[in-house]
Amino acid sequence: MGPLSRETWAQRLGAFRASPSAFMAGPEGEDLGRDLLNELRSEKLSEQTKVSLLALSLEYPAQLWPDAAAAEAAATSLLDTLVLLPPRPSALRRPLLLAATTALAAGNALGPTSGASRRLLPLLLGLASGRDLGRGFGPASEQRPLQATACECLRELESCKPGLLGGCLGLLRSLLGQEGPVQPLSLLLALALRNTLVIQARARAGLQGLLVAGDMPAAGGPWNWTLAEEGDANLQPQAPSWPAAEEEECGLAVLEPSPEEARELRAAVAQLLDTSYLLTPVAQAQLLWLLGWALRGLRGQPPVLFKPQLVRLLGTAQLTLLHAVLALKAAFGEALFTAQDEALLLRRLTLAAQHPALPLPAHLFYLHCLLNFPENWPLGPTGEETAPLLLGPRLCRGLLPSLLHDPSALLAHLHLLCLLCAEDEEKEEKGQDWCPRHYLGELLAGLRQRAALHGGPRALATLCFQASYLVVHCLATQPTVLTPLTHGLARLYRARPALAPHFVDLLDRVGPELGEPLRTALRQEVVSRPGRDEALRWHLQILSKVADGKAPSATLGFLRAAAAHCTDWGLQQALLQVCRALLRAGVGEGLADLLQALARHLEDPDGRDHARLYYILLAHLAGPKLGVALGPSLAAPALTSSLVAENQGFAAVLMVQEAPAPMRLSVGPRRAAGPVPVLQLQVEVLEPLYSVELRFRVEGQLYAPLGAVHVPCLLPGRPCRPLHLPLQPRRPAPAQLAVRALFATPAGLTCHAHLPPLPVNFADLFLPFPRAPDGDKQGFFEELWDSCLPEGAESRLWCPLGPQGLEALVARHLDPFVVVAQPPTSYHVAIRLPPASRLLLRLEAAQGDGVPVALRTDDWAVLPLAGDYLRGLSAAV
Amino acid sequence: MAQRAVWLISHEPGTPLCGTVRFSRRYPTVEKRARVFNGTSYVPIPEDGPFLKALLFELRLLDDDKDFVESRDSCSHINKTSVYGLLVGGGELWPVVAFLKNNMIYACVPLVEQTLSPRPPLISISGISQSFELLFGIQDFLHLGQKNDTELNTKLNQLPDLLLQACPFGTLLDANLQNSLDSINFASVTHPQKQPAWKVGTYKGKPQVSISITEKVKSMQYDKQDIADTWQVVGAVTCKCDLEGIMPNVTISLSLPTNGSPLQDILVHPCVTSLDSAILTSSSIDAMDDSAFSGPYKFPFTPPLESFNLCYYTSQVPVPPILGFYQMKEEEIQVKITVNLKLHESVKNNFEFCEARIPFYNRGPITHVEYKVSFGQLEVFREKSLLIWIIGQKFPKSMEISLSGTVTFGAKSHEKQPFDEICIGGTAYLKLHFKILDYTLTGCYADQHSVQVFASGKPKISTHRKLISSDYYIWNSKAPAPITYGSLLLVRCHN
Repeated sequence: MGPLSRETWAQRLGAFRASPSAFMAGPEGEDLGRDLLNELRSEKLSEQTKVSLLALSLEYPAQLWPDAAAAEAAATSLLDTLVLLPPRPSALRRPLLLAATTALAAGNALGPTSGASRRLLPLLLGLASGRDLGRGFGPASEQRPLQATACECLRELESCKPGLLGGCLGLLRSLLGQEGPVQPLSLLLALALRNTLVIQARARAGLQGLLVAGDMPAAGGPWNWTLAEEGDANLQPQAPSWPAAEEEECGLAVLEPSPEEARELRAAVAQLLDTSYLLTPVAQAQLLWLLGWALRGLRGQPPVLFKPQLVRLLGTAQLTLLHAVLALKAAFGEALFTAQDEALLLRRLTLAAQHPALPLPAHLFYLHCLLNFPENWPLGPTGEETAPLLLGPRLCRGLLPSLLHDPSALLAHLHLLCLLCAEDEEKEEKGQDWCPRHYLGELLAGLRQRAALHGGPRALATLCFQASYLVVHCLATQPTVLTPLTHGLARLYRARPALAPHFVDLLDRVGPELGEPLRTALRQEVVSRPGRDEALRWHLQILSKVADGKAPSATLGFLRAAAAHCTDWGLQQALLQVCRALLRAGVGEGLADLLQALARHLEDPDGRDHARLYYILLAHLAGPKLGVALGPSLAAPALTSSLVAENQGFAAVLMVQEAPAPMRLSVGPRRAAGPVPVLQLQVEVLEPLYSVELRFRVEGQLYAPLGAVHVPCLLPGRPCRPLHLPLQPRRPAPAQLAVRALFATPAGLTCHAHLPPLPVNFADLFLPFPRAPDGDKQGFFEELWDSCLPEGAESRLWCPLGPQGLEALVARHLDPFVVVAQPPTSYHVAIRLPPASRLLLRLEAAQGDGVPVALRTDDWAVLPLAGDYLRGLSAAV
Repeated sequence: MAQRAVWLISHEPGTPLCGTVRFSRRYPTVEKRARVFNGTSYVPIPEDGPFLKALLFELRLLDDDKDFVESRDSCSHINKTSVYGLLVGGGELWPVVAFLKNNMIYACVPLVEQTLSPRPPLISISGISQSFELLFGIQDFLHLGQKNDTELNTKLNQLPDLLLQACPFGTLLDANLQNSLDSINFASVTHPQKQPAWKVGTYKGKPQVSISITEKVKSMQYDKQDIADTWQVVGAVTCKCDLEGIMPNVTISLSLPTNGSPLQDILVHPCVTSLDSAILTSSSIDAMDDSAFSGPYKFPFTPPLESFNLCYYTSQVPVPPILGFYQMKEEEIQVKITVNLKLHESVKNNFEFCEARIPFYNRGPITHVEYKVSFGQLEVFREKSLLIWIIGQKFPKSMEISLSGTVTFGAKSHEKQPFDEICIGGTAYLKLHFKILDYTLTGCYADQHSVQVFASGKPKISTHRKLISSDYYIWNSKAPAPITYGSLLLVRCHN
């Protein structure tokens, strides 16, 4: 493709960004990567357009250059473009460096064998150290920004390949001490230092003077990949996943630096921390995370080095800084934060979680931090959100929920309130006016009031149910909370039955503490107001969820009254759904009458059929069986549509269910006799099974279709006679049998399971020849032997023998087929291979470790199988 | 500690997709690490289209919440932070940090340097706070002085270059994007050593320091026996220091008059070099007593080039500046209202503006109003169902004013009137909007003479003060009103 104009490129890039996958699948996709690299050297395109091309390569290298070789080539091309730039100021140098770095790192091309890596790394290090790279490297005005960019590129490479800069620690330190740009160098050094410490700790090596040594690697000299190769196996988190949780993962404790190394390390860390105020807040935070991890658990490195930074950091409102302080707290605990410090940190966090000058997302994050606060001496179980011990009701006063909050804010604050209520249980007994629990009650009432509004947004209803769920989750043991909640929810249902799906969802997810009373309350709520109602379908949906054996007459009364209004198919199905629930609950009396009435009077034939079926089931099945028959289906446990659920439940009775294999099938000893090969199958079961039918299918049509095997009953622990499976090979070849089992469970369900495939070996097909006439066995054998040629094949091979020798081998594997035997040295064997092949063996003149075998067959295809079989014999002993 | 991708999405309700991706940026080297760290729980970053759809669904910003959808509406699907899990391409992309502000959705996905199953707590993910800073930074940049869509588009067009500077590989280097913009423009300046990364150049010119204190007062007034009124002052001190030299040192002291209200909950800018422990610990959480630290509040710092918020504080003044009550009674299609407002005598009676907005939610348009005001004038916005009582520059000598009247409403039309979830039935409020220049409610001021500058030349120092209202609500005392826990607690303490 020729050079493209700026507009064409803009169009092309636009199309690509809209959907990279669609673009790459289209006609232009293949060329994009190549065109892009070529156009960078075009003199017709403006720098701005070229920068936008490079920006694309920074985001989508994997699409442009999908494999390591392409990435390597792209990086090489980008580097070539870079060195070819004229020595005047250019906006391209920086993005070119970034793009080459991205191509190598994202394309898995970075490594000692990559030519582009060998060019890029020294170039970056040279730029980072502010060395004069000569005329080709742009005007002096660009040196400074390029120096920073080179540091960023190196840091990214070190992130992707830890240990890459392990040999440059000394150099980086000295650069930081001189005039280098503070932030990029600090972050680079901190990362390289942390990675080196981790790699050396894993290798149980010391720092080996890495902190002080290290001049520039000579220009053009080889890069030191030693540490990177070691670090390669474990890409290191730049910041610890929460320190306390994975103490061993970090594994730094094993690194015991010598006093001298410890001193150097301390000096390096102090150097970084002392100038940290020159970094932007986000960069300071990164530095603290990195150094915090580097020093954690390292002997002889007390974390007091961090102390001077803390007061400054605690005063700020910066999210990253406070978060970094929390990370230090988690990493060092009491070693860095005394009890008073901990209290102060907690207060600052509490304050930040409600400070009006901070935005809501920050509030919510701080609130999360409060509930996951890394306490010096935590009391509660780890991993659960709890209010820290020092966070009393007084501190929390401003953190309690209000109806004016956004949904997520309300839930976050509500969770805290619940935790306080849970703690407050004992104090409460003494009777205070406005205890947290009263407030909780008021709040929930307010939420329900809003949810009850007709035409209100669903979000309000959802919020109300989420809040209720959260309260039940935290305060399930407190009846003083649950009782008003139950009544309140029942009233909410009365006010807005359209919320039925929310109620069903809530009942599905809460435990019996709320579930039981709420079921009763809702049932009463529904059945107490029979008759025609706009909300009938909601009532029926609720009833199908809550109807149980209690007070069935009221429920049945409601249903009888409702039946007259169930005019459409949906309502009838909903009505029947309730009947089904009653059937399951074992309600008999009265239900039979209702079902009969429905079977006669419902308008819809489908509804009548259903009613009749239910009636028949009720009349014919005993309670437990009925329960199983109508129970939730195994195949589709969670479906939201009540109608589908209904059919699924039915399917449980009427259809075969897929189930995990309840039995083990194996091939038993061979029985070489009869007209066809017969497999002897052994069965073990894990649970009682009835009416078992085993179905077999041969893969590849090697045998004629196999008949099924039937067993009336299989019980665990009770031996079963072997099952016989006759085979009718179409070719004498081994095969796999796919096996399926159909069976009935004790619960009355019919199930279907796939069993692991069953192998049929070559030897399983062996049959002996009909007995030769007495006296002339040798002649019989020779006749067979001669008949194989000329159509067949002959071969000789070496059959290795185990320690037992030839006699044992023959006795074990070939005995039924021996025609002439002269133990222990010579055997003539004749094997019939259905449908119509023969295999003849002469095993003669056995030696210590093997026996030469002459074999003939009338079937070429058998030869390799026979060879494999014979060679495998000794191993099979 | 890095970001895998970032998006800006404009929320456009009523359009087919309900939104458009205005900007997105992916970081493939970070993505590569995510694949390794997350292992089997790794879910790749989707393309913009599917991401947009999944995010809007999760944030409930699609126009289709008519039916119950379990994956969104289930009671156990609880979100307590601005971090979400999105169902995309058969997996769940988590954590997605996202929030909506001024019709723009800011979203990004931080790298989590471990497996995502089970989900680690957010506090343990270093990239989370960085995500927030990045998004806040972009938000500040887009909305700083932005007036219209053209300016927004201009700024959006600058974003790719800015992020190339501030976040080249997904690791955020500076959340202050304006700073990055400057650094692009400053590129030719030779940097002396020890230049702070948050200060891209040096100032040349006449030295001057400008300090302005803005106090916002918010209040919730109920006029009820069992619920206490609440009010709070939130202050922000903004500085612009035009001083020569790389690292000039400045100390600003905030002072209070003898009867001033102590400053609490002080949060400072990261450029503040040290803090008195009295400042650090003075907090609204504690009960107030006479021993509370009342200044002067000294803030030593090295200023950045741009204007910045030196500190924020709160304060509990003894009385609200304007105390009032609002009574509203419903009588079929009309409501009767009575409003009374009283300016406290200690407050400077010289407003830039002062008005009371009285909205009527979840009702039809206003068809008729009969009213009597003791002062000022009433404007009626019929379609918006809103009354605005313009009080003007001064309260009368009595310091007390009143409004009474009857408002009649037409039929409610569902399409036009947005639903308000708070003001249902009799629950209603009026909201005061006012501004007083050269005044703070706490009395807090920055004395020109107390500003110390250690830099060449004597700078010109200017100070400004203003008080503005923010969330100043007076609730209808004849109906229930939303309350906070504080309102209940205070009553108990007072009794």
